[in-house]
Amino acid sequence: MTEMNMVQAINGTLDMAMAKDSSIILLGEDIGVDGGVFRVTDGLQKKYGAERVIDTPLVELGIVGMAIGMALSGLKPIPEIQFQDFIFTAMDQIINQAAKIRYRSGGEYTVPMVLRTPYGGGIRGGIYHSQSGEAYFAHTAGLTVVTPSNPSDAKGLLLSSIDYGDPVIFLEPKKLYRSMKMEVKEGDYRVPLRKAAVVREGDEVTAITYGSMVPLVKSTFEKNNVNGDIIDLRTILPMDIEAIVHSVEKTGRVVIVHEAPRTAGMGAEISAAITERALESLLAPILRVTGPDSPFPYRLEEYYMPNENRIMKAVNKLMEYR
Amino acid sequence: MPEVEKSEEKSRLIKAYTAVILSRTLDRKIVTSQRQGRVGFYTPTMGQETLQIGASMALEAKDLIYGYYRDVPFMLHRGVPMENIINQIMGNRDDSALGRQMPSHYSDKKRNFMSVQSPVAAHLPVAVGAAYAQKYRKTGAVVIATFGEGSTSTPDFHAAMNMAAVFNLPLVFLCENNGWAISLPVEKQTIAEIWTKAAAYGMRGLRVNGNDMLETYEVVKEAVKRAREGKGPTLIDAISFRMGPHSTSDDPTKYRTETVDEGSDRDPVVVTEKLLKAKGFIDDKLVESIKTKAQKIVDEKFEECAKIPAPDPKTAFEGVYAETTWMLEEEVRDIL
Repeated sequence: MTEMNMVQAINGTLDMAMAKDSSIILLGEDIGVDGGVFRVTDGLQKKYGAERVIDTPLVELGIVGMAIGMALSGLKPIPEIQFQDFIFTAMDQIINQAAKIRYRSGGEYTVPMVLRTPYGGGIRGGIYHSQSGEAYFAHTAGLTVVTPSNPSDAKGLLLSSIDYGDPVIFLEPKKLYRSMKMEVKEGDYRVPLRKAAVVREGDEVTAITYGSMVPLVKSTFEKNNVNGDIIDLRTILPMDIEAIVHSVEKTGRVVIVHEAPRTAGMGAEISAAITERALESLLAPILRVTGPDSPFPYRLEEYYMPNENRIMKAVNKLMEYR
Repeated sequence: MPEVEKSEEKSRLIKAYTAVILSRTLDRKIVTSQRQGRVGFYTPTMGQETLQIGASMALEAKDLIYGYYRDVPFMLHRGVPMENIINQIMGNRDDSALGRQMPSHYSDKKRNFMSVQSPVAAHLPVAVGAAYAQKYRKTGAVVIATFGEGSTSTPDFHAAMNMAAVFNLPLVFLCENNGWAISLPVEKQTIAEIWTKAAAYGMRGLRVNGNDMLETYEVVKEAVKRAREGKGPTLIDAISFRMGPHSTSDDPTKYRTETVDEGSDRDPVVVTEKLLKAKGFIDDKLVESIKTKAQKIVDEKFEECAKIPAPDPKTAFEGVYAETTWMLEEEVRDIL
């Protein structure tokens, strides 16, 4: 056991996986000599060479397309997109190629690729270094969307993603890269994909969240003595519906917390899934605490991000329903 | 030329010519069948046969083809069974992709022919990754990527050309320049000659007459050899002409002024027959017999494939992931 932050955990995991499997190749902008703008791949090019830790030209669609081609030829690429905000020129590669190749080739060709990219706000990155685009990916059959909420999960989820066999969009909450430290087990362990974690237990309300919002919801519940479950989805697509329904049947009250804009966000999907399965258990309307339907602001980002106050407002409103 | 070499050349060229004729015959059959309502859609290949087969002749079995939706002659010469192609077009139970893609979107892993997508040029950056993998794994294989001249306007083409050159990859870009991207003529697609675009990436660029199968073969062979030797990628601008419409849904009379008719001097079938006759490899009798045999094969294969039923409905919702999702299971229960 060593105490580390998420950057160190991911770096160590990539190192461990690469040492074991020479088919793992990293590629992206500034990831080699520079070790990545967040230093997640620091030291890996020195250790594994420029052939395996590739500094690519500045072209996101090229990085993703190239990674897909590597995967089709027996490698296990782990491309990095420097900021999730820059991924949109590569969406055709992600949606029309990576996500569909298994299906469209009748399983002849598959794309075992883990696309890592930092997402979310909280570092004063303004419009183009702060977006939470999980819903764009979650709308695409064939993708698996994963986001860790702490260093230990980051390791276990990343190792599971590498061996998964289908394309994984691995969203790294950049706000948590260095803001929290915890004990991370040494050696190989897996956190299963498609399984949520209940990170706090209680009886009166269920908070459903993921990634960067998990520590915030946890501290909010602790500080305010909220008697509720907190579900960390870990995998956003496909989400762990059983864990959600199980909790809702117990509490009857639901708040969904995410940074991404509200409209057509994951909260809408989770909410619909709950009403389809557990309507009779609900005591109150399902509430969402999310980013607003505006672009992400620079100077005033505190107003954009969900916070303790907004979460408690929703929880208190839920508790009015008896 | 020594006798042995000459006889090898003869059999190689007769095999290639036979593939040209098979392709043309199959092309006509499918277009006619579409008009009869027996096939839903098709992108004819007429006019590009010698270009593709000349290129195919230059490849080894281990080489990879990242092709596009007009590469039937390439596939036939490569040894993809004709029934695989027809089954794909029919989308029937024996189609390797179970009818999931519209016609002309082939996939044949056994012959290293990568599954084809609709958005043009999107396979080019993917081909770069495949070439990188060949180099990294030291397989000695070369990747050849084919695409129409319309593809050269896309960001994917630019990304792929640049990366292939930067990483000095074993990759040949073969532009099947048939003059038309649906209704847009090449001169409105780009002001520059396509082969000259290579210079911007520090890559070799060449132009070849795609109607000349031997010239195409020689140029592609040399590019493949260089790629295999680690000398990097090449862009080949192979000039041909799309004799048919873009697809069976397209009406070229709306936009096209110039045509190349079957049997005319610019038809690659005619060009190839002249070439092989001049070499003394074929005569009218052999031509007639190859054509008759091709028609028989095509008719028979087509009717056999037409009898194969549609895939099981549940297969439309399978194979999205290695392990399906609960959402899909639930949705399929609602549908079926």
